[in-house]
Amino acid sequence: MVRLFYLQVVMHGYYESEADKEHTSKFTIAAKRGLIYAHDGTSGYAPLVLNEPVYTVFADPRYVKNPDQVADAMRKIAGGNILNNFEDGLRDKTKEYVVLARNVSEDQANLIKQQKLSDQGIGLQQESKRVYPEDQLAAQVLGFVNGEGQGQYGIEEGMNAQLAGKDGQLKAVTDVHGIPISVGSQSVQTPAQDGKNVVLTIDRNVQNKAEQALAAGLKNAKATKGSVVVMDPNNGHILAMANAPTYNPNDFSKVTDYSVFQNRAISDPYEPGSVIKALTMGVGLNENRIQPNTTYNNVGYVKVDDAIIKNVETEPKGTVTMTQVLQYSFNTGVVWVLKQLGDGSDTITMAGKQMLYNYYTKHYLFGQPTGIELAGEVSGIVPQPTASNVQYANMTFGQGINISMLQVMGAFSADINGGTYYTPQVVDGYRDNTNNFTSKAGTIRESNVINPTASAKLRQMLHDAREGSPANAGEKAGYYIGGKTGTAQVYNPKLGQYDPVATIGSYLGFGGQDKPQYVIMVRVDDATVGGFAGTSAAAPIFTDISNWMLDYLQIAPKG
Amino acid sequence: MALPRQNSSRQTWRRNQNTVKFSSNISLGPISHTVLIAVMLAVLGMIYLTQITKTSTYGYQLNDLSAKQQQLASQNRDLEVESAKLQALEKVQQSSVANAMTSPASTDFAHTN
Repeated sequence: MVRLFYLQVVMHGYYESEADKEHTSKFTIAAKRGLIYAHDGTSGYAPLVLNEPVYTVFADPRYVKNPDQVADAMRKIAGGNILNNFEDGLRDKTKEYVVLARNVSEDQANLIKQQKLSDQGIGLQQESKRVYPEDQLAAQVLGFVNGEGQGQYGIEEGMNAQLAGKDGQLKAVTDVHGIPISVGSQSVQTPAQDGKNVVLTIDRNVQNKAEQALAAGLKNAKATKGSVVVMDPNNGHILAMANAPTYNPNDFSKVTDYSVFQNRAISDPYEPGSVIKALTMGVGLNENRIQPNTTYNNVGYVKVDDAIIKNVETEPKGTVTMTQVLQYSFNTGVVWVLKQLGDGSDTITMAGKQMLYNYYTKHYLFGQPTGIELAGEVSGIVPQPTASNVQYANMTFGQGINISMLQVMGAFSADINGGTYYTPQVVDGYRDNTNNFTSKAGTIRESNVINPTASAKLRQMLHDAREGSPANAGEKAGYYIGGKTGTAQVYNPKLGQYDPVATIGSYLGFGGQDKPQYVIMVRVDDATVGGFAGTSAAAPIFTDISNWMLDYLQIAPKG
Repeated sequence: MALPRQNSSRQTWRRNQNTVKFSSNISLGPISHTVLIAVMLAVLGMIYLTQITKTSTYGYQLNDLSAKQQQLASQNRDLEVESAKLQALEKVQQSSVANAMTSPASTDFAHTN
């Protein structure tokens, strides 16, 4: 009686749980990873990333009676998906689980089921595979998902938590085969929380055009590496972000040069060169130290401490306006602006350097990530005002600082849109399973980068400068286009100085009718076509995309 | 005329009452009661088992339907992927329809003001 009391009362809980273990099982309910869409013009959305159900075929070799028959059937049905040496695994009776094939399609799985191979210990395990139906389109923006289900690079990594969702769990009473047989008080279900479906600000048509224009432009410039970003300066939305060389995320495992995974527009800071002159002019205008027609005496060079900084363009000399400084890209002109930021004397002062530093870091937000939702964004480096006068003189024309293309674009957009720095964003919102769209609110990081009057003056200067330069070759007439070239020297760590040959060409500009409706930045790393890379390699790519954007956005020319 | 008084210890009859009376001579002993209770318990047991089996059957049906739903959802996802691949820009650009298109020579705009 005592023993009975002990077993039935004292040990009741223990034996009940032991019994539960025998006839209940736990199943994981996999959360569906969120899909990723792009805009498709004004007609809706185009899927850039989908999930495809695939199967892993496995065997328990202890139950395989006829390995030859199973191997033949597997070869016929799952030909390209079977693993090397799968037959050895089939015959290895010491193992309980051997994978025979991966990524088997639904149709192939059905054929395997029809062959009734389960009688011989063959099983199917459903999994989900990421599919990128547009292949290499926007590859670096998207990234990919590795074998462990973790997003790598791009939005797949940047928003991995939101895309992945949370797995659920089902605890249910099962039969001898482990099949859940009832739903009742002993069955506990925690539903899976599927990942969010993300809609990007990327327009797949603009993205496609940017990639095609970049590829064609690089070919013309006999270059292999470059990047393009197209952005709406009025809200910070990224419309396209392209890199070359690129890759197909469907086949990421076949890539041998891992550098192609990087989105160089946000991950590869560089000395952008003369495109920064536009921003330096913005500082001078906002501080009322210069006007577009303010002049200085250009002698072709300027001495800063013990260094001589020269212009690349040798003419015109003498009295030159600030607009001409942008048109001819005079280094001496922006160094002169830096001097005006100080006490107005013909020297670079600490006050001037401090002001330039404040603008670069507090207004243009260099030296910190822009906050875009993509993985791998860098902060960049802006030297402190204690750096030498020569370094600060160089900074006025984009040498001696390290910043990303996106940082430059964020600042430039603010300078020409009236003074508002919108956080660059690549996520426009979310779509639920009934296709309802919820917009993601944009954020303003700085609301008075420069004042609207200074902004309007800078726009006009950039328009006039482009009109008077060879960079506007092939431009559609009747539109309000402005921009600035940049051909930057590249620091060579092996030489310990700037490379005597290598340059990076950039073009930074805007387009629209009365107000800028898009900003485009182009970077070409290794142009060998001759001439200044900013003008000969990057500017034609800008013009190609800009002309296309005018048609695409249905912007009418001024009458 | 007054009705005769009825004796409370005897059967009395009222008007319109059925006067035919049946009485059973069978009486149940303890064994019969035991058997009857056993039969009732057996019937209740059968009803219980039927209900349990029905629950299990529903469980299997639910499992089958769930599997079918998953299969249809899988097929749906497959078709979505196929549809997206067919509508991919590169595919469209390489189509015979796109190849037969030509660029316009120029674009004119009608100005309204």
